[in-house]
Amino acid sequence: MSNEAQSPSTNKPARPAWQRTLKIHAIRFVIVGGFFLLWEVASGRWIEAFLISSPSKIWRAFLTVYQSGELTTNTWVTFQEIGIGFPIGAITGIWTGYMFGRSKALADIFEPIIIALYGVPRTALAPLFIVWLGIGIWSKVGVVFILVFFLNFFNTYAGMKQLDQEFVDLARLMGANRWRLSFRVILPAVSPYIITGFKTSIPFSVIGAITGEFIAATEGLGYYIRAAAGVFRTADVFVGIAVLMIIVILMNKVADLIERRVLRWQTQTESVQVQG
Amino acid sequence: MAQTQDDTVIRVESVSKTFQTAGSDKVGALDNISLDIRHGEFVTVVGPSGCGKSTLIKLIAGLVGLSAGRIICQDQEVRGLNTKVGYVPQESKLFPWLTVEENVAFGLDSKGYAKSERDQRVQHFIQLAGLSGFEKRYPSQLSGGMAKRASIVRALAYDPSVILMDEPFGPLDAQTRMILQDELLKIWEQKRQTIIFVTHDLVEAVALADRVVVMTHRPGKIRDVIPVPMSRPRNIFEIHRQEGFDEAHARLWNIFRHELNLKNGNSAAVEK
Repeated sequence: MSNEAQSPSTNKPARPAWQRTLKIHAIRFVIVGGFFLLWEVASGRWIEAFLISSPSKIWRAFLTVYQSGELTTNTWVTFQEIGIGFPIGAITGIWTGYMFGRSKALADIFEPIIIALYGVPRTALAPLFIVWLGIGIWSKVGVVFILVFFLNFFNTYAGMKQLDQEFVDLARLMGANRWRLSFRVILPAVSPYIITGFKTSIPFSVIGAITGEFIAATEGLGYYIRAAAGVFRTADVFVGIAVLMIIVILMNKVADLIERRVLRWQTQTESVQVQG
Repeated sequence: MAQTQDDTVIRVESVSKTFQTAGSDKVGALDNISLDIRHGEFVTVVGPSGCGKSTLIKLIAGLVGLSAGRIICQDQEVRGLNTKVGYVPQESKLFPWLTVEENVAFGLDSKGYAKSERDQRVQHFIQLAGLSGFEKRYPSQLSGGMAKRASIVRALAYDPSVILMDEPFGPLDAQTRMILQDELLKIWEQKRQTIIFVTHDLVEAVALADRVVVMTHRPGKIRDVIPVPMSRPRNIFEIHRQEGFDEAHARLWNIFRHELNLKNGNSAAVEK
């Protein structure tokens, strides 16, 4: 009856799942470890050290900038830009996509305009945001917002177009008011699309913040990376890149948690199908 | 406004419906339909595909606007959505993001039932549908037959005055279908809610109904209304042996034979 009762692999007396997982982890560890080892050896021997730095130098650079507080300050600035721009962009994007799906008039009027705006490469707008909002965090918030907004908007709107009218009809016949119709029927029905847009916009929010900081800034990870590259402090560049990677990974983890919660009804489907 | 206080729940008065096609042509879907449905009655509507029987259901539900005539549901003219009806669509259309329990409770929650009554009704109807133990499951984890039963009790649970069913057993295999017909009748015999049931299956139409409404090809008109004098409770699995079945079925078939323009010689072969 219950899902836990059956393990993924039935019938065959196959190796237990944890053995497979262990093996995969081991292989991955060897590959990544080997790569770092090769990097360390190559640096200064086969390739100039100032071009590729080396893992040990990067680690020392990390300790230095971490202890001086420089890294923390810059990370905090970039984190703020994303932390403000991303949620606002995601929520307004989803909301606009939802409204467009609900109102044909709204969609008819604004759709061509939005499509035209979408045609503009949005990172090209970054200098404009600097002109408008200055070199502080708000211009970067603007760039993050615009990137995140469009991805969330388009995915939500695409989902709204696929919405099964019969679900809406049924809910209304059963007496659902606007609130229940929106939050109990329409948004859940569209949620797979919304989640897709939300998740794809995560790396783009980081791209937005960094692009803005590359162009004009006095602090932030993008500024830090550019400044370090300018004086060939390659190790510091890699430190900045590593922190950015970690930010994206953490954001993805949070998004996964949200996805698992929101799309519970879908993940459960898969597990049952596997059980056959 | 006020109709005579007989036990008519739904009165369809000279209703017509035309659809505008892509060009400027108008296609007649329903032509001058009049029909009274009494309280607690099980009425089936049969007709060839494209005769507008689903349209009739949608008009009663207020999902589609009518072109002429009027429909009165419980002494009130249907304008806009008719929230007095329960609707069981062709596919189960359970909300896949809600559990079985939440699906069955949807109408109750929407209509603001008190918590205790809500829980009690949900429990009762889940049991009635034979879904006890599956309350927390999602629709994707149910078999087709289970989903169908859940879909039916979802419409029954909040006690609408009329249940509209649009070929609910259409896509199912013959066996499942028969079992569900049997279960539907058992539930109905307990609840005695008014049901309007659209189908294209003549046997199903006779087996379930108190009266069978026969519709003609597009534009749909009511060709005849055949009473089914079979006693209840009925045994779906042996329905052919029940007294009154053959007679009603033969009458129905006669009309259809006419509609299909079959010659007498051919029809004998088709019939048996």
